Amino acid sequence: MNKKQILGSCILISGLGLLSLSSSVSARTVIQNKGSDTLVNVAQAWAEEYRNVDKDVAIAVSGGGSGTGIAAMINGTVDIANASRSMKGKEIKLAKSKGQNPIQHIVGYDALSVFLHKDNPSDTLSFAQLKEIFGRDGKAVKWSDLGLKVPGCKQDKIVVVSRQNNSGTYAFFKKAVLGKKGKFRQGTLDMHGSKDVVDLVEKTPCAIGYSGLAYANDHIKMSCVAQEAGKPCVNPSVATASDRSYPIARPLFMYTNGEPKGEIKKYLDWIMSDKGQCILLKKGYAPAKDVKCD
Amino acid sequence: MHKTTLEKANSAESMFSVSALNVKNKKTQKLYSVLFLMMTLLLILPVLVILGTLIVKGGSMISIDFLFTDPVNGMTEGGVFPALLGTVWLVSLALLVSVPLGIAAAIYLSEYASDNWFTRIINLAIINLAGVPSIVHALFGLGAFVMFFGFGTSILAASLTLAIMTLPVVIVSTRESLQAVPHAFREACWNMGATRWQTIRRVVLPNAVSGILTGVILEVSRTTGETAPIMFTGAAFFLPFLPQGIFDQTMALSLHLFVVSTQVPNVPEALPYAVALVLIGMVLLMNSVSIALRMYLRGQKKW
Repeated sequence: MNKKQILGSCILISGLGLLSLSSSVSARTVIQNKGSDTLVNVAQAWAEEYRNVDKDVAIAVSGGGSGTGIAAMINGTVDIANASRSMKGKEIKLAKSKGQNPIQHIVGYDALSVFLHKDNPSDTLSFAQLKEIFGRDGKAVKWSDLGLKVPGCKQDKIVVVSRQNNSGTYAFFKKAVLGKKGKFRQGTLDMHGSKDVVDLVEKTPCAIGYSGLAYANDHIKMSCVAQEAGKPCVNPSVATASDRSYPIARPLFMYTNGEPKGEIKKYLDWIMSDKGQCILLKKGYAPAKDVKCD
Repeated sequence: MHKTTLEKANSAESMFSVSALNVKNKKTQKLYSVLFLMMTLLLILPVLVILGTLIVKGGSMISIDFLFTDPVNGMTEGGVFPALLGTVWLVSLALLVSVPLGIAAAIYLSEYASDNWFTRIINLAIINLAGVPSIVHALFGLGAFVMFFGFGTSILAASLTLAIMTLPVVIVSTRESLQAVPHAFREACWNMGATRWQTIRRVVLPNAVSGILTGVILEVSRTTGETAPIMFTGAAFFLPFLPQGIFDQTMALSLHLFVVSTQVPNVPEALPYAVALVLIGMVLLMNSVSIALRMYLRGQKKW
């Protein structure tokens, strides 16, 4: 490295510094939006579309899971946190102690679907059966324990696919299906994204997993879920999530620090407008209010 | 007497004729050379298979448009331009920090520092730093640059994290190549009345530059592909704008690859392969430029 090169790099560094100064002067507002993997794709779609609504406002979207978003809200490093579960009392207390005041907004609903391999003969699963499959002391470890014979699953063992424990989907499924004190069975395969669960179950005949309805595709089966054995089951769909007849439908949240103001309020208002809600619907979630979309 | 001459003749004959032992030796020789050749080919095989798969599955998507347009329609269509640009930002800024710092530290350690407990501890620390997993660097970057220094999730924070991660390798490779310059060169220079710094600048560095570049090449490849450190500190899932300064967030190719292959539903099958191809292509391009530069510089070497 000779003198010229050293001089060159010095100029480059100072150039980059100047560039950053000039950009911080520009009028563009950046809204930081982080959290739930369930919501990340709809958040991305909103951010992409909002560019056409207001050119001076940019929405930076990151995923990582509801826990990541909520932690960022507690630390005050995001403007809007996405979560597929509500904040716990403990978390709100912690946020308040750090000077944050998280306010909850429901932006839509999701049907948490139970996914099975396409060849799995099961159509209906009751909460009791799900508990036996997913729960810590559940008795169903083989498909034959449920009276099923799954083609392609030679070992008969149920491959239980779950999520990593900072996922809102994980927390909601645990609370809704296994009960408040319930625990997941040991030895589940914990995937790091909603899509990973669907991809794995799609390729594994022995598998069962859960994920947001929006991640469903044509190569996978969704079980009809009955809250109690013998009662009629409900298929997961946008309609059944909207009217809450599907037993594991859950609200999707966005958290802001204090009542939203300025550009953040404008953005949230736009999300709740017909246009924003239709984008959500198109992504496979149930809107938070009645909308007509084309 | 007669017997001994006969024996001599016999032994002379056996010296030039091919004995059973010779044949056996030759066979083992051949066996091992073929065996090791196979091993070498086996090493190249994965590279070829990876590149082949990527080209077959993703090659059809690669075009100028793919490189220079924004992703659209929930990132299932369009190009990778913001991610490509973001990676260029991150890598160049990281190198701008780590290369001068690393070279300066290596020069001190190799040329100035005496061998005492203090430098031994520094060396130990550098070697240990090189072994720290990238996810730990990521958490350090999050704590130090994003939160403590208040840079926020930004290109600056991500690049500094990458720089810290690459620093040990730059230092070690630079120090090795400085030490590869024969000591006699320095002594000759000192005897001419040159100062230590003059010697380093005029004799040691020019002779070591090709080795230093090797270290930098390795680092370019590593930083380009690194995902964990930037995920926490500066790279976003999606940004509707191009970064305009070092305090902006950015998209990055490595994270984009992770996102389109695991997070986004209904992505066309070729897309992740195409993104991976762009990533690998970028690394190969940068590597070949540096390798060409290194070969040119080595040609200039006088020993």
